[in-house]
Amino acid sequence: MENNFKHNQFAHCESGVVSTLLTSYGLKISEPMAFGITHSLSFVFLPIIKLNNLPLIAYREVPKNIIKNIDKRLGVKIFKKQYKNMVQANEELTRLVQDEKKLVGLQTSVYYLPYMPEDMRFHFNAHNLLVYGKENDEYLISDPVFEDVVRAKENKLTIARFAKGVFAPKGFLYYPEHIPETIDYNSILKKSIRKNAKSMTTPFPFAGVKGMVRLAKSIEKIQNHPDERYIKNYLTHIVRMQEEIGTGGGGFRFLYSAFLQEAKEHGLDNHKLQVASELITQSGDILREFALKCVMGAKHINKLDSKEISKSLIEASKIEKEAFQILKTI
Amino acid sequence: MKQIKIPQEQNSTLDGHQKVMYAPSSNGKFQTYNYGSNIEEYATKLAVEEYEILQKECLKNIQNNISSPIEYYMYQHRMDIPTLASVVGFFQFRVKRHLKAKYFKKLNDKILQKYSDVFDITIDDLKGFSNGK
Repeated sequence: MENNFKHNQFAHCESGVVSTLLTSYGLKISEPMAFGITHSLSFVFLPIIKLNNLPLIAYREVPKNIIKNIDKRLGVKIFKKQYKNMVQANEELTRLVQDEKKLVGLQTSVYYLPYMPEDMRFHFNAHNLLVYGKENDEYLISDPVFEDVVRAKENKLTIARFAKGVFAPKGFLYYPEHIPETIDYNSILKKSIRKNAKSMTTPFPFAGVKGMVRLAKSIEKIQNHPDERYIKNYLTHIVRMQEEIGTGGGGFRFLYSAFLQEAKEHGLDNHKLQVASELITQSGDILREFALKCVMGAKHINKLDSKEISKSLIEASKIEKEAFQILKTI
Repeated sequence: MKQIKIPQEQNSTLDGHQKVMYAPSSNGKFQTYNYGSNIEEYATKLAVEEYEILQKECLKNIQNNISSPIEYYMYQHRMDIPTLASVVGFFQFRVKRHLKAKYFKKLNDKILQKYSDVFDITIDDLKGFSNGK
């Protein structure tokens, strides 16, 4: 399997890993396809759940969504295993990559990865990477958000694989076992796109388009917050979540637009795909402007105009609503 | 398809690495581009600095007999109470208590050992904590 493996840099860790993994096992799937087929675009704003005292905000589905759903959607069989015993987890990983020469996906914590830049280390437990070999006590790693392949000592990687906390990986390991001969992309894509459209237009007030509006309202209220430090942290927190704490964001909106463009090859309503793709690209661009406004607001708190910031988000939510209402009927 | 601008700014938090993003090329097809964003840089740096400020504040609180060294090490490892509680295996309310100087002094070695394992230090580092180094 190793012979077919080629390291690539991706925008997002999970979709990147799944793309490389399936491609090297014989099923060519691009990163946007892996992201879109598993209906991973999302928006969630849950003020009740706190991360470092700040509300949970997510611009995509929960971690592991892609790995969990890709086999269901495509009909591939993926071997998945979590471990209790670290020694056993290492023995099996070594056997897989060294003796069987397999390419294997792992879930790890960013904080404990030795090659991660110091400023990027946060306790984010759902970072995915690939192991493609082992030399002495070092694993050879293809991390999808790095330009080049990297290495990590066995003991260090083990700590990262068994980090605790939210989304604790528990040594999670996965690789494809069986790839089907034929895949009916037309019906798969239809289902995936509709499902994503449904989740983005859900009536639940904290998710999808409504979640965006909810967050916008919460930003508006921050104008009168007495604690400047909190305002600063809150605004930059929103930006950091947009990029998944630096472990590979690069704009989930653009990723999804790319998916819609690619979906045009499979006999769906191309006009609808084109219109929706353009709208979502536009929304992605507005969200970047929104991020810029957030950072400017944090930098110059005395000039902060929270209404102006929330206006961008509401604009993006309107555009996404329009796009997903079109996609609902695909 | 509308073209989007790909930021090409410095981002020192990446240690010289570059990330990629998708954007439409001139023919409308999407491809990946290297980019660097100082918006991301600022947001990341502020988050890192926040932990440094919390550490400094905590040092003062330790001197004034309010906080315990466990709190200091928690910030040093960029954790919050839920994360620390999960790593160390206690309920959050217990961890919260251990962060106070009053309760910290009564802790037995078994509990202190658990914390020092998490922070990769010795019990004496916790007990004889002076200024963090």
